[in-house]
Amino acid sequence: MNYAKKLLAQVGLEPERLEMFFLSSAEGAHFAEIATEMTERARRLGPNPLKNTKTVEPPKMEVEA
Amino acid sequence: MIVAEQKPLDEIKGMIADAEKVLILGCGTCVTVCFAGGEKEVSILASQLRMATQMAGQDKEIREFTVQRQCEYEYNELAVEHVRDADLVVSLACGIGVQTMTEQFPEKRTVPGLNTTFLGQPTEQGVWVERCQACGDCVLELTNGLCPVARCAKSLLNGPCGGSQRGICEVYAERETPCVWHEIYERAKTLGRLDKLLEPQPAKSWKTSRDGGQRKIVREDLRL
Repeated sequence: MNYAKKLLAQVGLEPERLEMFFLSSAEGAHFAEIATEMTERARRLGPNPLKNTKTVEPPKMEVEA
Repeated sequence: MIVAEQKPLDEIKGMIADAEKVLILGCGTCVTVCFAGGEKEVSILASQLRMATQMAGQDKEIREFTVQRQCEYEYNELAVEHVRDADLVVSLACGIGVQTMTEQFPEKRTVPGLNTTFLGQPTEQGVWVERCQACGDCVLELTNGLCPVARCAKSLLNGPCGGSQRGICEVYAERETPCVWHEIYERAKTLGRLDKLLEPQPAKSWKTSRDGGQRKIVREDLRL
């Protein structure tokens, strides 16, 4: 996760847009807290600068030996 | 293996600035094993460059491909269509791969996405250490398998320099790199071969190393 955050920072995106949480399906209240926190964080950071750019699917290529 | 690490993203962005179609070309051998230029690293770099260039408002096409061994023409032939389509190739191979691509596709610019660092060994997860300088005249028999050329900061061949303390080399700031001559001595003692270290050796010829210029091996028995 730290590595992925570093990659985002190099690109120029805020690393805090990305987070990973561990919780079980029995932790509904905790899930709601996390969802609220991430929503607030996204509002604070503003829209994703890549949101309206076209998505380029990397071409599927086979690695041949 | 040949150990390498990726260049900073900003440096790679600078190298691709004038190109519209960019091929990120990985190598499936040494740089895959040291997590610098394999299929996974190619995908990560391609994704980063797609995001970075889109954020900068640039319209670039970043493609990705990985060959098994970029230092041999036969393997690179599999990438020929992708190379032809691209304005620029960013090689995630060692410097040998970059130069093989340059020779094989002279009409295309191939730039290095990695810094080739050394010939080394993974000593623990995520750590690589230099073990060989390819001097062309191996002394590992005399030193019982520990290379003073690559592992002594001064490449001394006649024992420790006197600057080591408690088996640690004086050169490195972190003060945790072992003095290889201390290790050579301890190992020779363990093997009962200390007397061999005292035998005078002829001066090592460095003409097989970089001092003689670019090196080349020709095996007539293998040539076609």
